[in-house]
Amino acid sequence: MPRNKVAWRRLVFVALIIASLALLTVSFRESSSGPVHSMQQAGLSALSPLQSFGARAAKPFQDGYHWVTTLWSAHRENQKLSADLQKFQGEAVQLQELSQENDRLKGLLDIRDSTVFPTGTAFKVAMVVGKAPTQWESWVQIDKGSADGIQVDQAVVGATPVEGNTSLSGKGLVGKVISVTAHTAQVQLITDGESSVAATIEGPRAQGIVQGSTSGKITMDFVDRDQSVDPKFVIVTSGFGGVYPKGIPVGIVASVGGEDVNIYKQIEVQPFVDFRVLEEVMVITGAVNPVGTTTTTGTGNAIGPGNTTGTTGTTGGAGITRGAGSGSTGSTSTTSTTKGL
Amino acid sequence: MGRKELVGAGKFALLLVIAIVLQVVVTSRITVLGVTADLFVILTVIMAVSRGSLVGAVFGFVAGLLADVAYMQPLGIHALIYLLVGYLVGMFVARFETGTPWAVLLLTGVSSFLAQFVFGVFQFVIGPRAAFFSMIGTQMIPEAILDALFAVPIYLLLMRARVIPTPKVEPTIGSNRSSGQ
Repeated sequence: MPRNKVAWRRLVFVALIIASLALLTVSFRESSSGPVHSMQQAGLSALSPLQSFGARAAKPFQDGYHWVTTLWSAHRENQKLSADLQKFQGEAVQLQELSQENDRLKGLLDIRDSTVFPTGTAFKVAMVVGKAPTQWESWVQIDKGSADGIQVDQAVVGATPVEGNTSLSGKGLVGKVISVTAHTAQVQLITDGESSVAATIEGPRAQGIVQGSTSGKITMDFVDRDQSVDPKFVIVTSGFGGVYPKGIPVGIVASVGGEDVNIYKQIEVQPFVDFRVLEEVMVITGAVNPVGTTTTTGTGNAIGPGNTTGTTGTTGGAGITRGAGSGSTGSTSTTSTTKGL
Repeated sequence: MGRKELVGAGKFALLLVIAIVLQVVVTSRITVLGVTADLFVILTVIMAVSRGSLVGAVFGFVAGLLADVAYMQPLGIHALIYLLVGYLVGMFVARFETGTPWAVLLLTGVSSFLAQFVFGVFQFVIGPRAAFFSMIGTQMIPEAILDALFAVPIYLLLMRARVIPTPKVEPTIGSNRSSGQ
Protein backbone atom coordinates (compact mmCIF):
# COMPACT_ATOMS: atom_id res chain seq x y z
CA MET A 1 0.00 0.00 0.00
CA PRO A 2 1.38 3.46 -0.76
CA ARG A 3 2.76 5.37 2.15
CA ASN A 4 0.28 8.17 2.31
CA LYS A 5 -3.39 8.61 1.79
CA VAL A 6 -3.15 11.03 -1.10
CA ALA A 7 -1.02 8.67 -3.19
CA TRP A 8 -3.30 5.76 -2.34
CA ARG A 9 -6.34 7.79 -3.41
CA ARG A 10 -4.67 8.77 -6.66
CA LEU A 11 -3.76 5.19 -7.36
CA VAL A 12 -7.30 3.92 -6.79
CA PHE A 13 -8.74 6.76 -8.83
CA VAL A 14 -6.49 6.07 -11.81
CA ALA A 15 -7.10 2.32 -11.54
CA LEU A 16 -10.86 2.83 -11.59
CA ILE A 17 -10.66 5.17 -14.57
CA ILE A 18 -8.61 2.59 -16.44
CA ALA A 19 -11.11 -0.11 -15.46
CA SER A 20 -14.04 2.01 -16.68
CA LEU A 21 -12.38 2.78 -19.99
CA ALA A 22 -11.38 -0.85 -20.43
CA LEU A 23 -14.95 -2.01 -19.78
CA LEU A 24 -16.30 0.60 -22.14
CA THR A 25 -13.86 -0.37 -24.87
CA VAL A 26 -14.54 -4.06 -24.48
CA SER A 27 -18.31 -3.61 -24.42
CA PHE A 28 -18.12 -1.74 -27.73
CA ARG A 29 -15.62 -4.00 -29.42
CA GLU A 30 -16.83 -7.44 -28.46
CA SER A 31 -19.81 -9.19 -29.99
CA SER A 32 -23.14 -9.37 -28.19
CA SER A 33 -22.26 -12.87 -26.99
CA GLY A 34 -18.96 -11.78 -25.47
CA PRO A 35 -18.14 -12.08 -21.77
CA VAL A 36 -18.91 -8.46 -20.82
CA HIS A 37 -22.29 -8.55 -22.55
CA SER A 38 -23.00 -11.95 -21.00
CA MET A 39 -22.16 -10.56 -17.59
CA GLN A 40 -24.39 -7.56 -18.19
CA GLN A 41 -27.25 -9.77 -19.36
CA ALA A 42 -26.83 -11.99 -16.32
CA GLY A 43 -27.05 -8.91 -14.11
CA LEU A 44 -30.11 -7.75 -15.97
CA SER A 45 -31.72 -11.16 -15.60
CA ALA A 46 -31.08 -10.97 -11.88
CA LEU A 47 -32.79 -7.57 -11.79
CA SER A 48 -35.77 -8.58 -13.92
CA PRO A 49 -37.78 -10.20 -11.08
CA LEU A 50 -37.29 -6.98 -9.15
CA GLN A 51 -38.51 -4.95 -12.09
CA SER A 52 -41.51 -7.22 -12.57
CA PHE A 53 -42.34 -6.87 -8.90
CA GLY A 54 -41.98 -3.11 -9.15
CA ALA A 55 -44.26 -2.96 -12.17
CA ARG A 56 -46.93 -5.03 -10.43
CA ALA A 57 -46.62 -3.15 -7.16
CA ALA A 58 -46.81 0.21 -8.89
CA LYS A 59 -49.74 -0.69 -11.14
CA PRO A 60 -52.53 -0.02 -8.59
CA PHE A 61 -51.03 3.38 -7.84
CA GLN A 62 -50.60 4.19 -11.51
CA ASP A 63 -54.17 3.06 -12.19
CA GLY A 64 -55.39 5.22 -9.30
CA TYR A 65 -53.52 8.24 -10.60
CA HIS A 66 -54.82 7.60 -14.09
CA TRP A 67 -58.37 7.29 -12.73
CA VAL A 68 -58.13 10.61 -10.91
CA THR A 69 -56.73 12.41 -13.92
CA THR A 70 -59.40 10.85 -16.12
CA LEU A 71 -62.13 11.97 -13.73
CA TRP A 72 -60.73 15.47 -13.81
CA SER A 73 -61.25 15.76 -17.51
CA ALA A 74 -64.38 13.62 -17.72
CA HIS A 75 -66.89 16.47 -17.74
CA ARG A 76 -65.19 18.32 -20.55
CA GLU A 77 -64.72 15.07 -22.41
CA ASN A 78 -68.41 14.28 -21.99
CA GLN A 79 -69.46 17.52 -23.66
CA LYS A 80 -67.09 16.95 -26.50
CA LEU A 81 -68.20 13.35 -26.95
CA SER A 82 -71.87 14.34 -26.97
CA ALA A 83 -71.18 16.69 -29.85
CA ASP A 84 -69.11 14.06 -31.58
CA LEU A 85 -71.83 11.47 -31.09
CA GLN A 86 -74.31 13.45 -33.11
CA LYS A 87 -71.81 13.87 -35.87
CA PHE A 88 -70.83 10.22 -35.85
CA GLN A 89 -74.40 9.01 -35.85
CA GLY A 90 -74.79 10.69 -39.20
CA GLU A 91 -71.57 9.23 -40.40
CA ALA A 92 -72.56 5.80 -39.09
CA VAL A 93 -75.47 5.62 -41.46
CA GLN A 94 -73.22 6.54 -44.30
CA LEU A 95 -70.60 4.04 -43.18
CA GLN A 96 -73.19 1.30 -42.92
CA GLU A 97 -74.00 1.76 -46.55
CA LEU A 98 -70.33 1.79 -47.41
CA SER A 99 -69.82 -1.30 -45.25
CA GLN A 100 -72.44 -3.18 -47.20
CA GLU A 101 -70.76 -2.18 -50.38
CA ASN A 102 -67.44 -3.19 -48.90
CA ASP A 103 -68.81 -6.61 -48.00
CA ARG A 104 -70.07 -7.07 -51.50
CA LEU A 105 -66.71 -6.12 -52.96
CA LYS A 106 -64.91 -8.39 -50.51
CA GLY A 107 -67.14 -11.22 -51.64
CA LEU A 108 -66.13 -10.50 -55.17
CA LEU A 109 -62.49 -10.54 -54.22
CA ASP A 110 -62.84 -13.63 -52.04
CA ILE A 111 -61.59 -11.87 -48.95
CA ARG A 112 -62.50 -13.09 -45.57
CA ASP A 113 -63.35 -11.01 -42.52
CA SER A 114 -60.36 -9.76 -40.69
CA THR A 115 -58.90 -8.38 -37.50
CA VAL A 116 -56.56 -5.52 -36.79
CA PHE A 117 -53.47 -7.50 -37.61
CA PRO A 118 -52.72 -9.79 -40.57
CA THR A 119 -54.01 -13.35 -40.50
CA GLY A 120 -51.79 -15.98 -38.98
CA THR A 121 -50.02 -13.48 -36.81
CA ALA A 122 -48.89 -15.08 -33.56
CA PHE A 123 -48.51 -12.90 -30.50
CA LYS A 124 -46.82 -13.16 -27.17
CA VAL A 125 -48.28 -10.83 -24.56
CA ALA A 126 -45.70 -9.17 -22.33
CA MET A 127 -45.76 -6.69 -19.50
CA VAL A 128 -43.71 -3.51 -19.58
CA VAL A 129 -41.40 -3.60 -16.59
CA GLY A 130 -38.98 -0.78 -17.32
CA LYS A 131 -38.33 2.15 -19.55
CA ALA A 132 -35.52 4.38 -20.74
CA PRO A 133 -34.32 6.63 -17.92
CA THR A 134 -33.73 9.62 -20.18
CA GLN A 135 -35.27 11.20 -23.23
CA TRP A 136 -32.20 10.47 -25.28
CA GLU A 137 -33.56 7.05 -26.04
CA SER A 138 -37.07 5.66 -26.24
CA TRP A 139 -37.30 2.04 -25.24
CA VAL A 140 -39.12 -0.16 -22.82
CA GLN A 141 -38.15 -3.38 -21.15
CA ILE A 142 -40.62 -6.26 -21.19
CA ASP A 143 -40.87 -9.34 -19.02
CA LYS A 144 -40.55 -11.88 -21.82
CA GLY A 145 -37.26 -13.02 -23.31
CA SER A 146 -35.61 -15.67 -25.39
CA ALA A 147 -37.01 -18.39 -23.11
CA ASP A 148 -40.47 -17.29 -24.25
CA GLY A 149 -39.58 -17.28 -27.93
CA ILE A 150 -38.76 -13.61 -28.22
CA GLN A 151 -36.08 -12.73 -30.75
CA VAL A 152 -34.33 -9.61 -31.91
CA ASP A 153 -36.12 -7.68 -34.69
CA GLN A 154 -39.56 -8.98 -33.84
CA ALA A 155 -42.24 -6.31 -34.14
CA VAL A 156 -44.13 -5.23 -31.04
CA VAL A 157 -47.65 -3.84 -30.97
CA GLY A 158 -49.76 -2.30 -28.25
CA ALA A 159 -52.06 -4.32 -26.03
CA THR A 160 -53.25 -1.58 -23.71
CA PRO A 161 -56.60 -0.22 -24.87
CA VAL A 162 -56.79 3.53 -24.39
CA GLU A 163 -59.42 6.13 -24.94
CA GLY A 164 -59.11 7.50 -28.38
CA ASN A 165 -60.75 8.53 -31.53
CA THR A 166 -60.58 5.20 -33.29
CA SER A 167 -61.11 1.55 -32.57
CA LEU A 168 -57.40 1.09 -33.10
CA SER A 169 -56.41 3.26 -30.15
CA GLY A 170 -53.77 1.44 -28.14
CA LYS A 171 -53.41 -1.35 -30.67
CA GLY A 172 -50.90 0.15 -33.05
CA LEU A 173 -47.23 -0.41 -33.66
CA VAL A 174 -45.01 0.05 -30.61
CA GLY A 175 -41.58 -0.81 -32.01
CA LYS A 176 -39.25 -3.73 -32.35
CA VAL A 177 -37.14 -5.93 -30.13
CA ILE A 178 -33.51 -4.82 -30.15
CA SER A 179 -31.99 -7.01 -27.46
CA VAL A 180 -33.02 -10.10 -25.59
CA THR A 181 -32.02 -11.86 -22.40
CA ALA A 182 -33.50 -15.10 -21.14
CA HIS A 183 -36.47 -13.48 -19.43
CA THR A 184 -36.46 -9.87 -20.60
CA ALA A 185 -36.24 -7.99 -23.84
CA GLN A 186 -35.58 -4.40 -24.80
CA VAL A 187 -38.04 -2.85 -27.23
CA GLN A 188 -37.05 0.19 -29.23
CA LEU A 189 -40.12 2.43 -29.57
CA ILE A 190 -41.05 4.04 -32.85
CA THR A 191 -40.58 7.37 -31.07
CA ASP A 192 -36.86 6.66 -30.68
CA GLY A 193 -34.59 8.90 -32.71
CA GLU A 194 -33.01 5.92 -34.42
CA SER A 195 -36.28 4.20 -35.31
CA SER A 196 -37.36 4.00 -38.96
CA VAL A 197 -40.44 2.18 -40.16
CA ALA A 198 -41.39 1.75 -43.80
CA ALA A 199 -45.03 2.74 -43.99
CA THR A 200 -47.92 3.37 -46.31
CA ILE A 201 -50.64 5.98 -46.02
CA GLU A 202 -53.93 4.33 -46.72
CA GLY A 203 -56.03 6.12 -49.24
CA PRO A 204 -53.38 7.59 -51.52
CA ARG A 205 -51.18 4.52 -50.81
CA ALA A 206 -48.25 6.89 -50.46
CA GLN A 207 -45.04 5.26 -49.30
CA GLY A 208 -42.67 6.79 -46.80
CA ILE A 209 -40.61 6.29 -43.69
CA VAL A 210 -41.99 6.89 -40.22
CA GLN A 211 -39.26 8.24 -37.98
CA GLY A 212 -39.02 9.06 -34.29
CA SER A 213 -37.13 11.84 -32.58
CA THR A 214 -35.79 12.73 -29.17
CA SER A 215 -38.69 15.14 -28.74
CA GLY A 216 -41.06 12.15 -28.89
CA LYS A 217 -42.76 13.36 -32.05
CA ILE A 218 -43.23 10.98 -34.94
CA THR A 219 -42.98 12.13 -38.51
CA MET A 220 -43.39 10.49 -41.86
CA ASP A 221 -40.81 11.48 -44.39
CA PHE A 222 -40.02 10.74 -48.03
CA VAL A 223 -43.62 11.12 -49.16
CA ASP A 224 -43.72 12.81 -52.53
CA ARG A 225 -45.12 16.32 -52.60
CA ASP A 226 -47.53 15.47 -55.40
CA GLN A 227 -49.26 12.80 -53.29
CA SER A 228 -52.58 13.94 -51.90
CA VAL A 229 -52.50 13.37 -48.15
CA ASP A 230 -55.17 14.63 -45.79
CA PRO A 231 -55.24 14.58 -41.99
CA LYS A 232 -56.89 11.54 -40.42
CA PHE A 233 -55.61 9.13 -43.04
CA VAL A 234 -54.44 5.91 -41.44
CA ILE A 235 -50.78 4.94 -41.71
CA VAL A 236 -49.81 1.25 -41.71
CA THR A 237 -46.54 -0.59 -42.10
CA SER A 238 -45.68 -1.36 -45.69
CA GLY A 239 -43.70 -4.52 -44.96
CA PHE A 240 -40.63 -3.22 -46.76
CA GLY A 241 -37.40 -3.90 -44.94
CA GLY A 242 -38.52 -7.23 -43.58
CA VAL A 243 -38.68 -6.31 -39.88
CA TYR A 244 -42.25 -5.11 -39.54
CA PRO A 245 -44.96 -7.26 -41.11
CA LYS A 246 -47.17 -5.52 -43.58
CA GLY A 247 -50.40 -3.96 -42.43
CA ILE A 248 -49.73 -3.07 -38.81
CA PRO A 249 -51.49 0.19 -37.94
CA VAL A 250 -49.00 2.88 -36.92
CA GLY A 251 -51.11 6.00 -36.49
CA ILE A 252 -53.03 8.66 -38.30
CA VAL A 253 -51.89 11.71 -40.20
CA ALA A 254 -52.04 14.56 -37.70
CA SER A 255 -50.89 17.34 -39.96
CA VAL A 256 -49.33 17.78 -43.35
CA GLY A 257 -46.78 20.46 -43.98
CA GLY A 258 -43.75 21.19 -46.03
CA GLU A 259 -42.00 24.12 -47.51
CA ASP A 260 -42.09 24.84 -51.20
CA VAL A 261 -38.41 23.99 -51.55
CA ASN A 262 -38.86 20.49 -50.13
CA ILE A 263 -39.47 17.62 -52.47
CA TYR A 264 -41.13 15.63 -49.72
CA LYS A 265 -44.08 16.33 -47.52
CA GLN A 266 -43.61 16.91 -43.82
CA ILE A 267 -46.20 14.71 -42.17
CA GLU A 268 -46.71 14.60 -38.45
CA VAL A 269 -48.04 11.27 -37.22
CA GLN A 270 -50.37 10.76 -34.27
CA PRO A 271 -49.61 7.21 -33.10
CA PHE A 272 -52.37 4.86 -32.06
CA VAL A 273 -50.37 3.94 -29.00
CA ASP A 274 -50.03 6.28 -26.05
CA PHE A 275 -46.44 5.57 -25.09
CA ARG A 276 -46.84 7.31 -21.73
CA VAL A 277 -49.25 4.68 -20.42
CA LEU A 278 -47.83 1.61 -22.08
CA GLU A 279 -48.38 -1.32 -19.73
CA GLU A 280 -48.80 -4.40 -21.87
CA VAL A 281 -47.56 -5.11 -25.34
CA MET A 282 -47.77 -7.98 -27.79
CA VAL A 283 -44.68 -9.25 -29.52
CA ILE A 284 -45.36 -10.61 -32.97
CA THR A 285 -43.57 -13.93 -32.77
CA GLY A 286 -44.82 -15.31 -36.02
CA ALA A 287 -46.52 -14.20 -39.16
CA VAL A 288 -47.61 -16.28 -42.11
CA ASN A 289 -45.70 -13.97 -44.34
CA PRO A 290 -44.07 -10.71 -43.36
CA VAL A 291 -45.67 -9.01 -46.29
CA GLY A 292 -48.86 -10.99 -46.24
CA THR A 293 -49.78 -13.79 -48.58
CA THR A 294 -50.81 -11.35 -51.15
CA THR A 295 -50.63 -11.96 -54.78
CA THR A 296 -51.43 -9.05 -56.90
CA THR A 297 -52.03 -9.02 -60.57
CA GLY A 298 -52.20 -5.94 -62.64
CA THR A 299 -51.56 -2.53 -61.18
CA GLY A 300 -53.19 -1.04 -58.19
CA ASN A 301 -53.33 -1.62 -54.52
CA ALA A 302 -53.23 -4.77 -52.53
CA ILE A 303 -55.75 -5.11 -49.78
CA GLY A 304 -54.51 -3.41 -46.66
CA PRO A 305 -55.43 -4.22 -43.13
CA GLY A 306 -58.51 -2.97 -41.46
CA ASN A 307 -61.60 -2.10 -43.36
CA THR A 308 -59.56 -0.41 -45.93
CA THR A 309 -59.80 -1.38 -49.47
CA GLY A 310 -57.93 0.88 -51.71
CA THR A 311 -59.14 -1.17 -54.58
CA THR A 312 -62.36 -1.42 -56.33
CA GLY A 313 -62.17 -4.79 -57.93
CA THR A 314 -62.47 -5.18 -61.60
CA THR A 315 -65.57 -3.13 -61.89
CA GLY A 316 -64.31 0.04 -60.28
CA GLY A 317 -66.16 1.90 -57.58
CA ALA A 318 -65.38 3.54 -54.30
CA GLY A 319 -63.07 2.09 -51.72
CA ILE A 320 -63.24 2.90 -48.05
CA THR A 321 -60.35 4.43 -46.22
CA ARG A 322 -60.20 4.11 -42.48
CA GLY A 323 -60.42 7.53 -40.92
CA ALA A 324 -61.70 10.48 -42.77
CA GLY A 325 -60.19 9.76 -46.11
CA SER A 326 -62.21 9.37 -49.18
CA GLY A 327 -62.23 6.23 -51.22
CA SER A 328 -60.19 5.80 -54.27
CA THR A 329 -61.05 4.37 -57.55
CA GLY A 330 -58.96 2.21 -59.68
CA SER A 331 -58.91 -0.69 -61.97
CA THR A 332 -57.27 -3.28 -59.83
CA SER A 333 -57.73 -6.98 -59.89
CA THR A 334 -56.40 -8.32 -56.66
CA THR A 335 -56.39 -11.65 -54.97
CA SER A 336 -55.36 -11.53 -51.39
CA THR A 337 -55.59 -13.44 -48.19
CA THR A 338 -54.27 -10.56 -46.17
CA LYS A 339 -56.74 -9.63 -43.54
CA GLY A 340 -58.35 -6.28 -43.20
CA LEU A 341 -60.29 -5.07 -40.24
CA MET B 1 -9.39 -5.47 7.66
CA GLY B 2 -10.63 -4.38 11.06
CA ARG B 3 -14.12 -4.43 12.43
CA LYS B 4 -14.65 -0.77 11.62
CA GLU B 5 -13.69 -1.26 7.99
CA LEU B 6 -15.94 -4.31 7.74
CA VAL B 7 -18.90 -2.37 9.09
CA GLY B 8 -18.13 0.45 6.66
CA ALA B 9 -17.96 -1.96 3.72
CA GLY B 10 -21.21 -3.58 4.85
CA LYS B 11 -22.97 -0.21 4.95
CA PHE B 12 -21.48 0.58 1.57
CA ALA B 13 -22.87 -2.65 0.07
CA LEU B 14 -26.22 -2.27 1.82
CA LEU B 15 -26.61 1.23 0.49
CA LEU B 16 -25.91 0.02 -3.05
CA VAL B 17 -28.48 -2.77 -2.74
CA ILE B 18 -31.08 -0.34 -1.38
CA ALA B 19 -30.20 2.12 -4.15
CA ILE B 20 -30.72 -0.39 -6.95
CA VAL B 21 -33.96 -1.67 -5.42
CA LEU B 22 -35.39 1.81 -4.91
CA GLN B 23 -34.22 3.01 -8.29
CA VAL B 24 -35.74 0.08 -10.14
CA VAL B 25 -38.90 -0.34 -8.09
CA VAL B 26 -39.82 3.19 -7.01
CA THR B 27 -37.84 6.10 -8.36
CA SER B 28 -37.91 5.10 -12.03
CA ARG B 29 -41.71 5.09 -11.87
CA ILE B 30 -42.08 8.57 -10.40
CA THR B 31 -41.96 11.06 -13.23
CA VAL B 32 -41.83 14.78 -12.48
CA LEU B 33 -41.76 17.21 -15.41
CA GLY B 34 -41.02 14.26 -17.67
CA VAL B 35 -37.90 13.12 -15.84
CA THR B 36 -37.06 10.69 -13.07
CA ALA B 37 -34.59 11.12 -10.24
CA ASP B 38 -31.28 9.28 -10.38
CA LEU B 39 -30.57 7.77 -6.97
CA PHE B 40 -27.14 6.57 -8.06
CA VAL B 41 -25.77 10.05 -8.65
CA ILE B 42 -27.50 11.34 -5.50
CA LEU B 43 -25.93 8.65 -3.32
CA THR B 44 -22.56 9.07 -4.99
CA VAL B 45 -22.56 12.75 -4.09
CA ILE B 46 -23.71 12.00 -0.54
CA MET B 47 -21.00 9.38 -0.08
CA ALA B 48 -18.38 11.74 -1.43
CA VAL B 49 -19.53 14.55 0.87
CA SER B 50 -19.68 12.36 3.96
CA ARG B 51 -16.77 9.97 3.38
CA GLY B 52 -14.41 11.75 1.04
CA SER B 53 -13.22 11.46 -2.53
CA LEU B 54 -11.81 7.93 -2.34
CA VAL B 55 -15.00 6.34 -1.05
CA GLY B 56 -17.03 8.63 -3.31
CA ALA B 57 -15.07 7.48 -6.34
CA VAL B 58 -15.33 3.78 -5.47
CA PHE B 59 -19.03 4.11 -4.66
CA GLY B 60 -19.60 6.01 -7.90
CA PHE B 61 -17.78 3.37 -9.90
CA VAL B 62 -19.82 0.48 -8.45
CA ALA B 63 -23.09 2.44 -8.61
CA GLY B 64 -22.29 3.31 -12.23
CA LEU B 65 -21.77 -0.34 -13.10
CA LEU B 66 -25.15 -1.16 -11.56
CA ALA B 67 -26.72 1.72 -13.49
CA ASP B 68 -25.20 0.44 -16.74
CA VAL B 69 -26.71 -2.97 -16.11
CA ALA B 70 -30.10 -1.62 -15.03
CA TYR B 71 -30.30 0.92 -17.87
CA MET B 72 -28.85 -1.45 -20.48
CA GLN B 73 -26.10 0.98 -21.41
CA PRO B 74 -22.59 0.14 -22.61
CA LEU B 75 -20.87 -1.21 -19.51
CA GLY B 76 -18.51 1.39 -18.07
CA ILE B 77 -20.02 4.67 -19.22
CA HIS B 78 -21.98 5.47 -16.06
CA ALA B 79 -19.19 3.90 -14.00
CA LEU B 80 -16.75 6.40 -15.46
CA ILE B 81 -19.07 9.39 -15.05
CA TYR B 82 -20.12 8.60 -11.47
CA LEU B 83 -16.53 7.79 -10.56
CA LEU B 84 -15.53 11.28 -11.66
CA VAL B 85 -18.51 12.76 -9.83
CA GLY B 86 -17.58 10.99 -6.60
CA TYR B 87 -13.95 11.96 -6.83
CA LEU B 88 -14.48 15.59 -7.77
CA VAL B 89 -17.20 16.18 -5.20
CA GLY B 90 -14.97 14.65 -2.54
CA MET B 91 -12.12 16.92 -3.56
CA PHE B 92 -14.40 19.95 -3.56
CA VAL B 93 -15.70 19.20 -0.09
CA ALA B 94 -12.19 18.66 1.23
CA ARG B 95 -10.96 21.88 -0.24
CA PHE B 96 -13.83 24.08 0.88
CA GLU B 97 -14.60 22.18 4.05
CA THR B 98 -18.31 22.17 3.53
CA GLY B 99 -20.86 19.49 4.19
CA THR B 100 -24.07 21.32 4.94
CA PRO B 101 -27.39 20.27 3.42
CA TRP B 102 -27.21 23.37 1.25
CA ALA B 103 -23.86 22.21 -0.09
CA VAL B 104 -25.35 18.78 -0.78
CA LEU B 105 -28.25 20.42 -2.62
CA LEU B 106 -25.93 22.51 -4.74
CA LEU B 107 -23.36 19.81 -5.36
CA THR B 108 -26.01 17.26 -6.33
CA GLY B 109 -27.65 19.67 -8.75
CA VAL B 110 -24.38 20.61 -10.40
CA SER B 111 -23.08 17.02 -10.41
CA SER B 112 -26.30 15.67 -11.87
CA PHE B 113 -26.27 18.29 -14.60
CA LEU B 114 -22.63 17.68 -15.48
CA ALA B 115 -23.09 13.90 -15.38
CA GLN B 116 -26.02 14.17 -17.76
CA PHE B 117 -24.13 16.61 -19.94
CA VAL B 118 -21.22 14.20 -20.30
CA PHE B 119 -23.60 11.32 -20.90
CA GLY B 120 -25.45 13.48 -23.44
CA VAL B 121 -22.22 14.18 -25.31
CA PHE B 122 -21.54 10.45 -25.30
CA GLN B 123 -25.03 9.74 -26.66
CA PHE B 124 -24.63 12.48 -29.22
CA VAL B 125 -21.38 10.97 -30.45
CA ILE B 126 -22.55 7.37 -30.69
CA GLY B 127 -26.26 7.85 -31.25
CA PRO B 128 -28.59 9.89 -33.42
CA ARG B 129 -27.69 13.51 -33.98
CA ALA B 130 -30.38 14.63 -31.59
CA ALA B 131 -31.26 18.17 -30.66
CA PHE B 132 -28.59 18.30 -27.98
CA PHE B 133 -29.28 21.79 -26.70
CA SER B 134 -33.01 21.24 -26.42
CA MET B 135 -32.22 18.29 -24.15
CA ILE B 136 -30.56 20.71 -21.74
CA GLY B 137 -33.92 22.32 -21.08
CA THR B 138 -36.14 19.26 -21.26
CA GLN B 139 -33.94 16.64 -19.62
CA MET B 140 -30.78 17.85 -17.95
CA ILE B 141 -31.94 20.87 -15.96
CA PRO B 142 -35.23 19.35 -14.71
CA GLU B 143 -33.45 16.17 -13.62
CA ALA B 144 -30.66 18.13 -11.97
CA ILE B 145 -33.24 20.10 -9.96
CA LEU B 146 -35.15 16.93 -9.08
CA ASP B 147 -31.98 15.14 -7.99
CA ALA B 148 -30.94 18.13 -5.87
CA LEU B 149 -34.34 18.23 -4.16
CA PHE B 150 -34.24 14.50 -3.48
CA ALA B 151 -30.67 14.66 -2.20
CA VAL B 152 -31.21 16.77 0.94
CA PRO B 153 -33.83 14.59 2.67
CA ILE B 154 -31.90 11.45 1.73
CA TYR B 155 -28.70 12.98 3.12
CA LEU B 156 -30.37 13.94 6.39
CA LEU B 157 -32.09 10.57 6.65
CA LEU B 158 -28.86 8.65 6.14
CA MET B 159 -27.09 10.81 8.72
CA ARG B 160 -29.88 10.33 11.24
CA ALA B 161 -29.85 6.56 10.61
CA ARG B 162 -26.07 6.65 11.13
CA VAL B 163 -25.48 5.04 7.75
CA ILE B 164 -23.12 7.88 6.97
CA PRO B 165 -21.12 9.96 9.42
CA THR B 166 -21.19 13.70 9.54
CA PRO B 167 -18.86 15.01 6.86
CA LYS B 168 -15.19 15.06 7.56
CA VAL B 169 -12.45 17.02 5.92
CA GLU B 170 -9.76 14.97 4.29
CA PRO B 171 -6.34 15.96 3.09
CA THR B 172 -6.11 17.41 -0.38
CA ILE B 173 -3.30 17.04 -2.83
CA GLY B 174 -0.60 19.52 -2.04
CA SER B 175 -2.42 20.78 1.03
CA ASN B 176 -0.71 21.44 4.33
CA ARG B 177 -3.49 19.53 6.07
CA SER B 178 -1.99 16.29 4.73
CA SER B 179 1.15 16.76 6.74
CA GLY B 180 -0.04 14.48 9.46
CA GLN B 181 0.34 11.39 7.26
